[in-house]
Amino acid sequence: MSRDGWRKKASEDDGWGGRGGYMAAKISKLDEQFQKDAPREKQKEGTSSCIFSGVAIYVNGYTDPCADELRRMMMLHGGQFHLYYTRSRTTHIIATNLPNSKIQELKGEKVVRPEWITDSIKAGRQLSYVQYQLYAKQQSLNFTSICAQGKPDLSFKPSPSHPQPSHTQTLSKEVLKSTASFTERTNHQLDVRLNGSCSIVFEEDAERPRVNGIHDGDDDDTCALLPRGSQDPLLTNGYVHPVNGALKPLLFAEHSPHVVDTGSHQSHLPQTESRDREEPSCSSAGSKSNSHQRSSISIASPAKQPGLHNMQKDLHPKPTSNPGTSGAPQKGNLHDQTRVRLNGSYHTTPSSSNLAVISSNHPGRSGQGAEAGIISEFFSHSRLHHISTWRNEFSEYVSALQSRRRAAGGAVFSGKEKLKKLKANCSSGSLMAAPQVRQSCILHVDMDCFFVSVGIRHRPDLIGKPVAVTSNRGPGRIPQRPGANPQLEFQYYQSKQKQYRKEKTDCDLEMTPSPPCDEVPSNGVDLDLAALSMAEIASCSYEARQAGVRNGMFFGRAKQLCPDLQSVSYDFQAYKSVALCMYETLASYTHNIEALSCDEALIDATNLLVELGVTPDDLARAIREDIKEKTGCSASVGMGSNILLARMATRKAKPNGQYFLRSEEVDDFIRDQPVSSLPGVGRSMSSKLTSLGVSTCGDLQQLSISRLQREFGPRTGQTLFRFCRGLDDRPVRSEKERKSVSAEMNYNIRFTQVEEAESFLTNLSMEVQKRLEGAGLRGRRITLKVMVRKPGAPVEPAKYGGHGICDNFARSVLLAQPTDSGQLIAAEVIKLFHAMKLDVKEMRGVGLQVQQLEGSHTDPSGQGPSRGRSIKDLLLAKQPTHSPTKEPPAPQDGLTSPSSSRAFSSIWERVTPPSSPPSTSSDPMPGTSKGGLHQLHTPNHVRTCLNISIEVPSPSQVDQSVLEALPVDIRRQVEQSWRHREEQPSTSSHLSTPPRTSSSPPPGPSLGTLVLQLPDQPGQPCTTGIILELPDFSQVDPDVFAALPRELQEELCSAYRNKRNAQALVQAQSSAVEQKHTFPQLKQPAVGKLKRRYKKRNASPAKKGLSPLKKLFPGNSPAKSSPSKTLPLPLKTENVQCPSSTSTDVPETLSKFNPRPVPTLAGAYEFSDIRTLLREWVTSISEPMEEDILQVVKYCTELVEDKDLEKLYLVIKYMKRLMQQSSESVWSMAFDFILDNVQVVVQQTYGSTLKIT
Amino acid sequence: MATLTRQDLNFGQVVADILCEFLEVAIHLILYVRDVYPSGIFQKRKKYNVPVQMSCHPDLNQYIQDTLHCVKPLIEKNEAEKVVVVIMDKEHHPVERFVFEISQPPLLSINSETLLSHVEQLLRAMILKISVCDAVLDNNPPGCTFTVLVHTREAATKNMEKVQVIKDFPWIVADEQEVHMEEAKLIPLKTMTSDILKMQLYVEEKTQKT
Repeated sequence: MSRDGWRKKASEDDGWGGRGGYMAAKISKLDEQFQKDAPREKQKEGTSSCIFSGVAIYVNGYTDPCADELRRMMMLHGGQFHLYYTRSRTTHIIATNLPNSKIQELKGEKVVRPEWITDSIKAGRQLSYVQYQLYAKQQSLNFTSICAQGKPDLSFKPSPSHPQPSHTQTLSKEVLKSTASFTERTNHQLDVRLNGSCSIVFEEDAERPRVNGIHDGDDDDTCALLPRGSQDPLLTNGYVHPVNGALKPLLFAEHSPHVVDTGSHQSHLPQTESRDREEPSCSSAGSKSNSHQRSSISIASPAKQPGLHNMQKDLHPKPTSNPGTSGAPQKGNLHDQTRVRLNGSYHTTPSSSNLAVISSNHPGRSGQGAEAGIISEFFSHSRLHHISTWRNEFSEYVSALQSRRRAAGGAVFSGKEKLKKLKANCSSGSLMAAPQVRQSCILHVDMDCFFVSVGIRHRPDLIGKPVAVTSNRGPGRIPQRPGANPQLEFQYYQSKQKQYRKEKTDCDLEMTPSPPCDEVPSNGVDLDLAALSMAEIASCSYEARQAGVRNGMFFGRAKQLCPDLQSVSYDFQAYKSVALCMYETLASYTHNIEALSCDEALIDATNLLVELGVTPDDLARAIREDIKEKTGCSASVGMGSNILLARMATRKAKPNGQYFLRSEEVDDFIRDQPVSSLPGVGRSMSSKLTSLGVSTCGDLQQLSISRLQREFGPRTGQTLFRFCRGLDDRPVRSEKERKSVSAEMNYNIRFTQVEEAESFLTNLSMEVQKRLEGAGLRGRRITLKVMVRKPGAPVEPAKYGGHGICDNFARSVLLAQPTDSGQLIAAEVIKLFHAMKLDVKEMRGVGLQVQQLEGSHTDPSGQGPSRGRSIKDLLLAKQPTHSPTKEPPAPQDGLTSPSSSRAFSSIWERVTPPSSPPSTSSDPMPGTSKGGLHQLHTPNHVRTCLNISIEVPSPSQVDQSVLEALPVDIRRQVEQSWRHREEQPSTSSHLSTPPRTSSSPPPGPSLGTLVLQLPDQPGQPCTTGIILELPDFSQVDPDVFAALPRELQEELCSAYRNKRNAQALVQAQSSAVEQKHTFPQLKQPAVGKLKRRYKKRNASPAKKGLSPLKKLFPGNSPAKSSPSKTLPLPLKTENVQCPSSTSTDVPETLSKFNPRPVPTLAGAYEFSDIRTLLREWVTSISEPMEEDILQVVKYCTELVEDKDLEKLYLVIKYMKRLMQQSSESVWSMAFDFILDNVQVVVQQTYGSTLKIT
Repeated sequence: MATLTRQDLNFGQVVADILCEFLEVAIHLILYVRDVYPSGIFQKRKKYNVPVQMSCHPDLNQYIQDTLHCVKPLIEKNEAEKVVVVIMDKEHHPVERFVFEISQPPLLSINSETLLSHVEQLLRAMILKISVCDAVLDNNPPGCTFTVLVHTREAATKNMEKVQVIKDFPWIVADEQEVHMEEAKLIPLKTMTSDILKMQLYVEEKTQKT
C-alpha cells in the first residue's frame, strides 16, 4: 500500500470523525510502521535526539515543511507522528491554516504551526509551543501566548513567510511609530509594551472621544489604547493594575462613534452596526476573525455566558486574519457595555446587576468601590483572595474525603497500596523491615516555588532560567503618574526597615527566612525606581532567588537585579488544577491531611508508617515521585516528629528534596535556626527579639520562660519557649476551626461622598455574608478596619489604585446575637463608620471582620470544616416541626425580610459565574452548588433560628389583627396551641422540648412554653410588637408610662381595663404565672430577647421588666423572683398602692410623681440577694449566656443612673472576684465585657472611670 | 405617717440642717484623713455616735462654717446637686475630689418615729466610710489645700450672685482648672438612701498625683 494512499485516506476522513475496528487496526499498524522506520531513519541521518519525546503530532492540511518531512523529523527527534488524529494520544496538531469548520470543532487541542518543530530542532530543545499556537481558543486562561517571552527576536520578526498571520503578535515598527506620533500629537503619554501588545496610557482624558478605542495596526497588529484619567470612572473601578497588564481593552457604554485619526485606523462603528456586520465579515474575514465574531456575540450577552473563558479569549485583541479585513467586529465588541480590563489575571462581568450599575455610572462621579457587584468582582479577581480561599477549599476537600470514607466505611488508598506493594517487593529481597518504632511523624509537603513551576510546566524553554510570576510582562517600566510620589513611599517603607513585600508572600513559605531587604535602594536609585513597575512578584524560581529576587518584590526592581528575569503571568486555572492534583495524590496515601495553603499540606503519617512498615524517607520519596509524575512540578518534603520540626525540615529539604529531621538531631538542628523561622515570629517579634540579643533559636533557648512570658505575654512566651526547643504539640487537624471571617479591600478605594462609602460598606457586608454562609458560620463581633491616608502622605500612591501609606483604624461592636445577615452587619458597620468620623476622601482601604463565630445550625448540607453538627443541632433544627405551636409575637416584618434577603443573597450567588474557578461559589464539591438553591427554598425559620422559648399568650392577649397578619402556618400553630392548652394543659408540656443552650441544659419539661424560631433580625423595624404578658398594673413604672406615645398609653389602659373586666382570664394568666414559677429558668432566654427587641422599638419600655417576666437567672429561687415580693422600701410600697385604685386616669396621676424604679437584677434588689444571684450564676454555669451578661450590664447601668455607685462598685468588685476566680476563661471575658460597658456609662455620667483594683 | 412636700418650708430647712451638719463633720474628717492639715490641729470628737476628728483652728473652722452656711439655702431649695471638697496640690491642680451628690426625693414621706434614727445611721455609715477612705486612696503630695465647690441645679447661680448670705463671702464661679481633673478614677465610697435624702459620696482621684 503506497503512502499516498494513506494520505488520501487521511484527507477523506479528516481525523475528527469516529473510527471503527478497521481504523483502530490501521492506526496501530501505522504506529508499528513508524516505530520500525524510526531507527532506520536515524541511521540514515546520522543525527538524532529525543527532544520531542512524549510529543505526538498530527499534521492537518498543507504545511511547510510538508507532512512527510515532519514525520521524518519526528522520527529523528524522538517524537510520534499520527496519521490519524486521536484526541487521547495526539498531543499537538500541526497546521498553518484550518478551515472554519475545524476551528469550530477545536476544543482544547494545541494547534501549532510547523515552525515549532523546525525551530525546536534548530534550538536543539523543545521550545514552548505557546508562541507557535495558531488559535486563540487554546489560550484558555493563559496570556502567555501574546507575550514574547524568552525569544523576543523571534516574535518580533515579522513573519511574511506565512500567508496566514500567526498568532504570535508581531509588532511592526511602523505601527509603533505611528502610534507614537499619534499620541504625541494628542499630548498623551505613550507606553509601548514590547511584548506584542501596546497600550497607550493617557494621563488626561480630555480628548477621549477621539482616541478611545482600539486602533488597528497596519497589517495584523492590534494595539489597545487605554485612556486613563481621573475623571474616568471606568478605570478607577477596576481592580487590576493598569500599568502592568499586557492588554487593557476598555469598553465603554457610550456608543458614539469615535474616530481614531491615525493612518489606517478606522472609525468605530456603533455596536448595532457591528453586529449587523458580523455575518458578512464572518465569511470574508476567514477563519480567525470568524472565531472572533463568535466570541463577540458571546460578549454581547454576558448574562448568558459569563464564563471566564469566553470573556477572556474574546477580549483579547487579536490580529485579524486577513490584512484587508476591518477590525469592525472587534470594535463593536469593545463598544459593548461590558467593560473589562485584563491584568494577566482574568475578569468577568458576571451579573446583569453589574451591568446596570455600569450603565448608570456617570463620568465625573468616581464610582470607586461604591458599586454593587464591585466587591464580589474584586474578590473574584484578587489573586490573593483566590489563594486564600483555596486553603479553605482544600480543607473542605480533605474533610469531604474523610466524611466520604466514613460513609463508605473505608477507602482505597491507591498510593498506599502501591507503596505497600513496593515495600513487599523490596523486603522480599532484603528481608529487612524498617524498624517498627511507633514514633509520631509529620510530613510537611510543600511545592517548590509553586506558581513558577506551574507556570513553566509547559514551557520547557524556561526551565533553569530565572522566572518570576507577576502580572507585568514588560521591561518593568511604567510612566509615572502625577500626584504620586514613589520616592516618599519608598523612604517610608525603608524607614520602617521591614519587608513590606513580605506581606504578599502568601504561598511560598520557604521564603520566610529571607534576609531583610538590605538592598533597599539608595536615594540615587530611587529616582530611577520611580519609573519601575510596581507589579509584585508572587513567586520566583530558585534561579531568580539566587540573583536576589524575592517574592513580593516589585517587578521593576527585580528586573534591575536580574536583567534576564523572565516573567510568567498568572494562571489560576492551572494553579488550581495542580493543587487539586497534589491533594488528590496526598489523599491517596492517607486522609490525615491538613491543608495549609494551595501548595502545602501537613500529613500525619504516624499510623501510615507503622502500617506500611516503611521509613519516613521512603514514604516521602514515594509521595514526591507521585506528585512529580502527576503534576509535573516538584515538591519538597520535610519530616519531623511534630509540625514545627517538619516545617523546619522542609526548609532544609528545599528545593526539590526531602529531609527527615531525626529526633536525636533536633537539638543541633534547631540551635542554628534563625528565630524568624519559627512560626508566629514575624517582623515585629523578631525585631523585639533582636533587641533582646536573640537571633537564633539557640539564643532563644537561653532565655527563661518567665522572661519570655514577661516580654511577650504568657501564651506567646510559652509558645516561644517550646518552639525554640523544637517542641510543638499542635495536632494535624484536617478540620480547622475558623476564628474569623472577613473581607477586606484596600485597592482602589477612593470615595467622594459618604453615601458611596456607606453603599460600599453595605456591599462589603454582603460579601461577608456570602462568606459566612459559605462557611456556615455566624459571628457576633464585627470589626471595621479602615485605612486612612496618613497625613502628609502623597494623595496618589506610587502604585496605581494602591493604598499608599496609611494609618489603620479599627472599631468593633459586639452584637447581641451571632449573625450572618449582611444587612445587619451593614447596619452595625455603618454605625461604626459614622462613629469614626472619617473623611471619606482619605479612605484607602476598608475591611470587615466577623469574629466570635459559631456554626449556624441551618447549614443544609452540613459539610465542610468547622461545622460541628451535633445531635443537639439536629434537635434544634427539628424542633419547630415537633412543637405543636408556634409563637405569634414574631412580627411579620421580621419573618419576611430575612427571607427576602436570603433570596437576594442566593441570587447573588448564582449570578456569579459558575465557571469562575476559584471563586467560592463554584465549589467543586458536589452539593455545595445546591446550597444556594436549597437556601432559597428552605423556609427561613429553619435557616435563621434563634431558639427562643416564649409562652404563647392566652387568646385574650393576642391582637386578632396581628394573628391574622401572621403567616398561615404559624397562625395555625398558635391556634393549635390554644386548643392544646384548653384541652390538656398539663400534657402539652411533654410535647414541647425545653430550649437548650450550650451552656445550661435546664432540666425538666416546660409548661406552656414553646420554642419559637425567631428570625435573627433584631434590627428590623417591627410594627406589631411582641405581646408580652401584661405586668400587674402596680408594676407599671409611671414615668415610663408617661413617656410612652399617646397611642400606646391608650392601648395599655384599655388593655388593663379589659383585664379587669375579664376576670377569669386574669385568673388564667396568674395561674400561668404560677406555672412558670415552677420552672423559672425556662423563661430566661425569651425574656432577655424579648425585652431587648422591645426596647429597640420603643424608647424606654424596657422598664416593664419590673414585671415577673424579669426573672433572669437560672437557679433563681421562686421566692426571689416572685412578683409579690415587697421590697424593703416605703417608696416601693407606695408605688404599689397608688395605681391600683385608679384605672384610666392613672397616667396623669402617676406622671406627676417621679419615683425612680429601684434597679433590680432579676428581681433582686438587696445587695446580698444580688450577691447570691451572681454567685449562683457564676458557679452553676460554665459559660455565661449573653442575655444574662447583658442583663447584668443593664442592671449596672441602672445603678449608675440611680446614683448608687457604691452598690455598683460592690457588685463589680464581687463579680470580679467571682468571675476571675472561675476556671473558665469565658467568665473573665464576660467580666471584662461587663466592666467595659459599665465604665463607658460611668465615664459618660461622671467624666471618669471607676477605679477597679 | 405624715406626708410632707417641698413646699412645706420647715421640712426643707430640716433637711438642710441635717445635711449641713453632716457636711461640716465630713469636711473636717476629710481634711484630717487626707492630711491636708497637720494632724495636730485636729481633735477627736464624737458625732453620730462615732469618733470623728475636728479641726480646732479657728480660721479654718470659720471658713468651713461660712461655706456651709452659704450652701444651706441652696440645699433648702433643693438647688444643690453636688457639694465637692476639692483637694489641690501646690499648683492648684485638683488631686482628689470628694463629691457629695445630693438628690432629694420630690415626694417626701416621713415616718417621724424612724426618721431620725434611720438617717443618723446612714450618716454614721458615711462618716465611717470617710474615715477609712485612705485605704483605697493614694497618698496626697505634700502642701495640699482644699476648696469647696457646689454644683447647682438650673439657674440657681443667678440667685447666688444676688444674695450674699454672708457679707464679703460670695460664691464665685469655679475655675475650670479646679473643676476638671484629667484621667480621674472614680471610687465610690458610700450611697445612702433615706426618705428625705438620697446622697452618695464618691471620690475622683487623679491617676498620677505627683
